[in-house]
Amino acid sequence: MEQEVSTELASREVAKKARLRRERWMRRLPLLPALIFTILVTQIPFVMNLWYSLTEWKITPPTPRAFTGFDNYATLFTNTFFRSAVWITVVMTVGAVALSVLLGLGIALLLDREFFGRGLVRTLLITPFLIMPVVAGLIWKTQIFHSLYGVLNWLITAVGFQPVEFVGKMPTWSIITVLVWQWTPFMMLIILAGLQSRPTDILEAARVDGASAYTLFRHITLPGLRPYLELGALLGSIYLIQVFDHIDVITGGGPGSTNVPYFVYQRSIGGGWDFGQAAAYSTVVVAASLVIATIGLRLLGGLLPKEEI
Amino acid sequence: MKWNWSGRGSGMWRMTVLLMAFAMILAACGGSDDEGSGTTAASGDTATTAPSTETKTINVAIVGNPQMEDITSLTPELFTAETGIKVEYTVLEEQTLREIVTRDVGASGQQFDVVMIGMYEAPQFGENGWLYNLDKWAVDDAAYNKGDLIDAVVSGLSTDNGYWASPFYAESSFLMYRKDVLDAASLTMPDAPTWDEVASIAREINSPDMAGICLRGKPGWGDLGAAFTTVLNTFGGTWWAANPDGSIGAAQVDQPEFKEALTFYVNLLNDAGETDAANASYNECLSQYQDNKVAMWYDATVAASNLEASDSPVKGLNDYALAPTKVTDASGWLWAWALAIPQNAPDPDTAWQYVAWATGPDYLVQAGENLPGGWAAVPPGTRKSLYANPNYQEAAAAFADKTLAAMEAAPINNPGTTPRPGVPAVQFVGVPEFQDVGTRCTEQFSAAIAGNISIDDALKACQSIASEASQ
Repeated sequence: MEQEVSTELASREVAKKARLRRERWMRRLPLLPALIFTILVTQIPFVMNLWYSLTEWKITPPTPRAFTGFDNYATLFTNTFFRSAVWITVVMTVGAVALSVLLGLGIALLLDREFFGRGLVRTLLITPFLIMPVVAGLIWKTQIFHSLYGVLNWLITAVGFQPVEFVGKMPTWSIITVLVWQWTPFMMLIILAGLQSRPTDILEAARVDGASAYTLFRHITLPGLRPYLELGALLGSIYLIQVFDHIDVITGGGPGSTNVPYFVYQRSIGGGWDFGQAAAYSTVVVAASLVIATIGLRLLGGLLPKEEI
Repeated sequence: MKWNWSGRGSGMWRMTVLLMAFAMILAACGGSDDEGSGTTAASGDTATTAPSTETKTINVAIVGNPQMEDITSLTPELFTAETGIKVEYTVLEEQTLREIVTRDVGASGQQFDVVMIGMYEAPQFGENGWLYNLDKWAVDDAAYNKGDLIDAVVSGLSTDNGYWASPFYAESSFLMYRKDVLDAASLTMPDAPTWDEVASIAREINSPDMAGICLRGKPGWGDLGAAFTTVLNTFGGTWWAANPDGSIGAAQVDQPEFKEALTFYVNLLNDAGETDAANASYNECLSQYQDNKVAMWYDATVAASNLEASDSPVKGLNDYALAPTKVTDASGWLWAWALAIPQNAPDPDTAWQYVAWATGPDYLVQAGENLPGGWAAVPPGTRKSLYANPNYQEAAAAFADKTLAAMEAAPINNPGTTPRPGVPAVQFVGVPEFQDVGTRCTEQFSAAIAGNISIDDALKACQSIASEASQ
């Protein structure tokens, strides 16, 4: 008797599982075309890129594509120009993300107060993020940095100093400046969202207990903002690691401004026409981005499950 | 401590997620931007002629310079109305055109019946078997009159195996200078100066308000690369030695002549060059020259038509001299934009009809009579008949003779003192590797001009870049 019951229970369990699985697939089915499409347009090119990275392939002069194994990857680590491009990528990404998060935090704290015209100020502050990178690069290069026609040098000469050739002398930091200008609003928006969701009761309680403004910020606001700061830094890093437009417009490459994406462009359609090598370089960039994204998502992981997204 | 993310908190999360999505979309847009924007002024616009029925249609890719844009507006009434052949133009920015045409022609696409290519590409594409030999039609076409073309230009577009592209526009380089400034300093410029003479004049007239000379310093094989290579040639240097079979030999960047040329160039710019030299190319020098910020300028002959234009602030104040030399007899560069017919064009005979019209002697006359800019706006540098035309001589009196002299003097087949790969070519090396090597080396040289790295470091880096291409 008991055994019968248990076998019946077991078979019921199996039937239930099968039904659940069917239901799950029924729900997934309409999503399949989109999934397959996504795989077709993103993953297949990537697999082809992996294949190209194992070949020697130049289209001018036309030479047949030849399999060379890991030669392209081997030259990659001995190539000083690739190493310098990696270094520039690191400096640019870390510099621009850190500065824009800091600035974004400062501006968000200011914008968190009530004042007349706050909406207008917020809109104006967001604007740099909405400008096309190429346009932003051109404006900064010709109207701000330029040693004859730029506003900065007009100010510098007005107070009696020699004009500074910003882009020529400091290519890396000129580009970082423009990147910070463009990405600060993005960081500001994310951090502002965090600030405005601060539970007021805790702040009030702390204030009643006599906590100073600095203590409030240091021990309540900042720890609470942590996930927002991490999110901003993660998204910023993922996008800034592939900066191209600003470099192309402002310096057109060079020892202080060629990052890995720009180097890949130069090795391929930018004149090198060496698709095998370029494919190997871009595979490395993808791998690096994946590492950063994984680390970042793990950092954010503490927050995500709670929201059950 | 952590907050309790309930109530308002989840709303905020939704906002954050929205922001993320927003950022993704922006990034996607940015990504597609990258494709087309080879350089600053990426204009991917397509100009098409008015539709007509039952006609042949050809697709033509051209570069977006003023003279090329003029021809798109003249085509319907001057060509389509006469022949019934409809022309669909794709107007592209220079670097984008280079990328698209190389991909299209090299990978056997069938996008274009006629493509505009430069003097750098024509011999290479021709030897690759990508183009029709235009002599198939040109030698028998009396109206086309191949003998009227300037010889150096034809040489630059031909190899032993064929005549690969028909020139639409051509230029050389020469020295432009402010005669009034030199007169005020009691200096005279010879008609065929040496670089030493030019450098000493530049240093003498250099002042805080007006630099002595404007030279290109912006990275790029067609920017700093072009101007510097003409200097390099005449200093007796070269990028590579040639192997016995004409292929790329050992890199010569570590040779004393190369160092002498680069040191001369960098020092001249530091002592008497324009402001922000490391970022200056044609456009920057043009605006500084017109702004009275520089007294001399070594660049393309086509610049003279800007300096002498009716709205130019320096009109009539200038004089012109041949490209300065050192140990060779002539050093001016030679460049042409020319029309070619790809091997995979479906109807090459119709394509030739178009090429023969657009680059023929009659078009120059038609353009002079019909263009709003008049005779001064005619594409220069290709045909002797244009320089013999009294209307053109009148409109371009200030520079026509000097331009023709520069074009004819350009040492297209033997630009330097030693054998080298990739001739015919003056301001570049006619090998596929030069685009890449020239651009990456000039990035180093530009950094040396800016003072960020030493000349020796720049040369060392460039030697290793150039050595990658040696065979």
